[in-house]
Amino acid sequence: MLPCSWGLWRSAIHTLKTFRASPSARGLCIPTRAVCDAETIFALSSGHGRCGVAVVRVSGPASSMVLRNMAGLTQALPPPRTALLRRITDPKSKELLDRGLVLWFKGPHSFTGEDSAEFHIHGGPAVITAVLQALGSLEGVRPAEAGEFTRRAFHAGKLGLTEVEGLGDLIHAETEAQRRQALRQMDGELGRLYQDWSYRLKRCLAHVEAFIDFSEDELIEDGVLNQVDSSVRQLETEIERHLKDERRGERLRTGVQVVIAGATNAGKSSLLNTLCKNNTHTQSMTHCRANPHFNGQPCMSALSHTPKYAFFLMTKSLFLMVEQADLTLVVVDSTQLPPDPQLVAAFLQQHLSTVLPSPEAGMTAASDKVLLVLNKSDLVPEEQRERTEGELRERPGLPPACFLSCSTSTGLEDFLTVLQSRVKTLCGDPLSGAPSLTQARHRAHLQQSVQALNQYHQYRDQDLALAAEGVRLALTHLGRITGRVGAEEILDIIFRDFCIGK
Amino acid sequence: MLAQKLHLLRHNVLSFVSSRTGSDFTRRQYDVIVVGGGHAGTEAAAAAARLGAETLLITQKIMTIGALSCNPSLGGVGKGQLVREVDALDGLCGRAGDAAGVHFSILNRSKGPAVWGPRAQLDRERYRQFIQSELLSTPRLTVLEGSVDELLVSQPNPEEPGHHRVTGIRLVDGSHPILSSSVVLTTGTFLSGSLFMGQTTSPGGRMGDAQSCAGLSYTLKETLGLRVGRLRTGTPPRIVKESVDLSLAQLQAPDKQPTPFSFLNTHTRCKPEEQLPCYLTHTTPGVERVVRESVHLNCHIQQDAKGPRYCPSIESRVLRFPGRRHQVWLEPEGLTSDLLYPQGLSMTMPPELQLRLLREIPALHRAEIRTPGYGVQYDFVCPTQLTPSLQVKSTQGLFLAGQINGTTGYEEAAAQGLWAGVNAGRTALSLPPMALSRTQSYIGVLIDDLVGRGVTEPYRMFTSRAEFRTYLRPDNADLRLTPRGFEEVGCVTLRRYKKAVSVRDGLQEALMALQSVALSSTRWREKLGNISLSENKSTTLNRKQCWTFTIEIYAVYRPHCEKQSREMERIRSEESLSLPSDMDYLSLPVSLSQEVREILDRVRPNTLGAATRLPGMTPAGIIHLLNYLKLFTHCKRRHA
Repeated sequence: MLPCSWGLWRSAIHTLKTFRASPSARGLCIPTRAVCDAETIFALSSGHGRCGVAVVRVSGPASSMVLRNMAGLTQALPPPRTALLRRITDPKSKELLDRGLVLWFKGPHSFTGEDSAEFHIHGGPAVITAVLQALGSLEGVRPAEAGEFTRRAFHAGKLGLTEVEGLGDLIHAETEAQRRQALRQMDGELGRLYQDWSYRLKRCLAHVEAFIDFSEDELIEDGVLNQVDSSVRQLETEIERHLKDERRGERLRTGVQVVIAGATNAGKSSLLNTLCKNNTHTQSMTHCRANPHFNGQPCMSALSHTPKYAFFLMTKSLFLMVEQADLTLVVVDSTQLPPDPQLVAAFLQQHLSTVLPSPEAGMTAASDKVLLVLNKSDLVPEEQRERTEGELRERPGLPPACFLSCSTSTGLEDFLTVLQSRVKTLCGDPLSGAPSLTQARHRAHLQQSVQALNQYHQYRDQDLALAAEGVRLALTHLGRITGRVGAEEILDIIFRDFCIGK
Repeated sequence: MLAQKLHLLRHNVLSFVSSRTGSDFTRRQYDVIVVGGGHAGTEAAAAAARLGAETLLITQKIMTIGALSCNPSLGGVGKGQLVREVDALDGLCGRAGDAAGVHFSILNRSKGPAVWGPRAQLDRERYRQFIQSELLSTPRLTVLEGSVDELLVSQPNPEEPGHHRVTGIRLVDGSHPILSSSVVLTTGTFLSGSLFMGQTTSPGGRMGDAQSCAGLSYTLKETLGLRVGRLRTGTPPRIVKESVDLSLAQLQAPDKQPTPFSFLNTHTRCKPEEQLPCYLTHTTPGVERVVRESVHLNCHIQQDAKGPRYCPSIESRVLRFPGRRHQVWLEPEGLTSDLLYPQGLSMTMPPELQLRLLREIPALHRAEIRTPGYGVQYDFVCPTQLTPSLQVKSTQGLFLAGQINGTTGYEEAAAQGLWAGVNAGRTALSLPPMALSRTQSYIGVLIDDLVGRGVTEPYRMFTSRAEFRTYLRPDNADLRLTPRGFEEVGCVTLRRYKKAVSVRDGLQEALMALQSVALSSTRWREKLGNISLSENKSTTLNRKQCWTFTIEIYAVYRPHCEKQSREMERIRSEESLSLPSDMDYLSLPVSLSQEVREILDRVRPNTLGAATRLPGMTPAGIIHLLNYLKLFTHCKRRHA
């Protein structure tokens, strides 16, 4: 069978290479499948945000090439698992990016079981971005998908069964963080741009596929392919221009995004004012909140100054905002709480389910994504407040609740402590979707998309199946950003655009 | 001479049949029973018998075995690939097509060999005769005329998953039951089928045939609790050839040199110069007018059962895309037939209006109708209830193939029939079931789509459904499937296997020879002149300039297929991890969200691969499942 023969070819070629590379180890060379098949991936493995040292991991067969190219190691690789101080340069422009430690791990003695390398660089966003972009520019090296390092480690048998238990949750957390990051991107101008490309590419593919599957029996105008030609060329130009001109594109939204939600008159604006007036930590915190604009308006005021956005009438887009947020402060008017402290928990639970986009998700994530602020505490009798506080402390199902009075500042200190510790964990969380990494991922996929579109032109007149393959591939890469496109979706477009039938 | 031989064969079929019908046949226990004698049924019966299973084919009318109930053609883009694959697994339809074809052409000739579509117009009579004589000469295969009343069902084998086990069938005439280890149902449109023409409706699956089998419907729906859906299809009126003014239509000539479907054949029965032409004509505004005027008299198109989007009746085409000219192909029905088949004019309006509509087309202005067109609505079993071996998940030994699974087309039916027959045979012989990967064949794509996603309209094969289209080519179907069919499946004869192996070895040798020539790109250019060479792979000659055709195709596609090989391997490794069909997802002790649990519980994917492709499935869920599977098999091995 054919695959067998390919296998033969491949292994024959592979053995040949190994022999040449290390003639002394002739008898020992057993090519392992896992090593020769995988692509090489990289990712920022330490947390994003400001930190002393950032660690970038590379794994896969090209790791040694990466190390040679970026750390200027023309001769031998360093001994495995030994730190080496090197100048880290851009492989193309030879520009100095940073000085840092590099480590080399020869497979199978590495986290993933593959050849790996680590770069320990300075933790500033500019350095990290530069290194990640340099890595992405190397051939055969791409940013890792969520959980890919861990998955490779798992498949290489590097994780025990108990460790694997945690793996699912880890991947969940990573994808969750990437999803939030992606949602933020998709919401903006950049997202609309990607969606538009994806839509046009889908149509191109549908029309090529229609021409392949139906043109012999059906009335499909000959002009269809010419249209595709020009659309593909147009797309190529646009994507290439976008890749060259990164500054013009919308800046990625970074930082911890905090949304304040609450009913009309619960005290959202007061809380925002209190936070901004107060100590510098919080001030920088509220400012580092990424893009403060939402639909052209500062998002906080969109929430607080416009009564129609009061959460009982929460529009879909506001739900979306809460979904994108890393942290939601739910402000409740304490005077609205039931006087009987025993009923308060149930009341708040009910309340949350109307604020959070999906009640179930809200509950499970309650502990780390939501804080309850019980405002206007000065208007509640002291005794009732204390009893309520005691009652709420014993409720594990609810997010932490703080009594606060924005007008008298009572309880502010306690609230700020809770808030700061929460923001700190979020900033230090390696998973909260490093934007520079997302940017590198997008770039890589867009570049591959353009390359694939090239294949379309190359084969357009010789072999339409191969030309179509180029469009398919381009769409797959774009789909990694905007969402996967299945065969059914393409067929839907075909049947919508053409009258097919015999 | 040929005619005489055919006559003899036909006579034999008849005598063979009569000797086994009614009270004459004594055997009451078979390995496999196949119900239905259409494309799925005949392939299933032949495949099971090739595997070594004692097989009984039951059909309502022996003379309609192998009948082409709708269009007189086989193959096409996507469908041609299926025919080649069925042939590579030693099925019947490829060779039958070569014997019955009267007009051969390869579609998509200009678009690259991966998407070529071998196609032929057929002589209905020759096709039927070929299939019948093939079945006659198949050892271990018996044919019986009769209607199945019910399936016999008993307690399941506790060691296998499932709630029931099929043990045989009972015929309508109330005689003794016939027992078997497995049953393949290929009842086509006969499951609660009803026929539509104008405002009249009558029960049945095909005009002129007996009614549908109500008892069988009852067993499937009530006893086995299978979910069914409803689909519709239709067929055009048949036109008397003499009444057509062919000078007003455009002549469509066949290929000068017919290309056979079968890997075993070097030429077709029909000589190149004996081939018949087709004719192309178009609808007119008058056609649209008749459709609009007759809508209120047309029950079929007012119903909401789902019809196919790509093979719609002329009524739905006109209503969906008004103001256009639609193509109509006038196809021969055979060498001696006096009829023409108007492809594209499937319709269900009252007969007198059908005639009016036809006569709005210039070439048909005097046309006479022999039999009017009509519509069929029928039940299908939602195919997500099947395993990749086409067995009903809840019922051990019960296999379904063809239109009953929601597909349309002869080729789709034949492909499923063959695979269901293989697995029915294997089950009866106590061998484990087998699945074909979607990375290996269009048959695999077809079955994976059916059992993994289900259908919302009659399913037809398109090349755009195959992810690995540049590898799943019509030219290499034998290399992809025949060796495995012989070595692992057991449905391929030695003769065919040897042929495929010699082709494979020859190809390999030639490629080795080519591969050993390594020159720089400059030297290549010197030797070959101005051809496009890839600079970075300059040491080997990848493309073109190879002296045989197969090698050329192979060389063109090889770099692309190699690029895809990693993806193929990933899919294959995920497909090899099967999920137990009795898994209780709702209470599985792993961390899965309720949403994912419900999806898994509803669809019950057969493999991890299928689970990965489910919409709504998360990467984390997959890892948890994978982990559970590893633990599960680990424990099982320890207990064993």
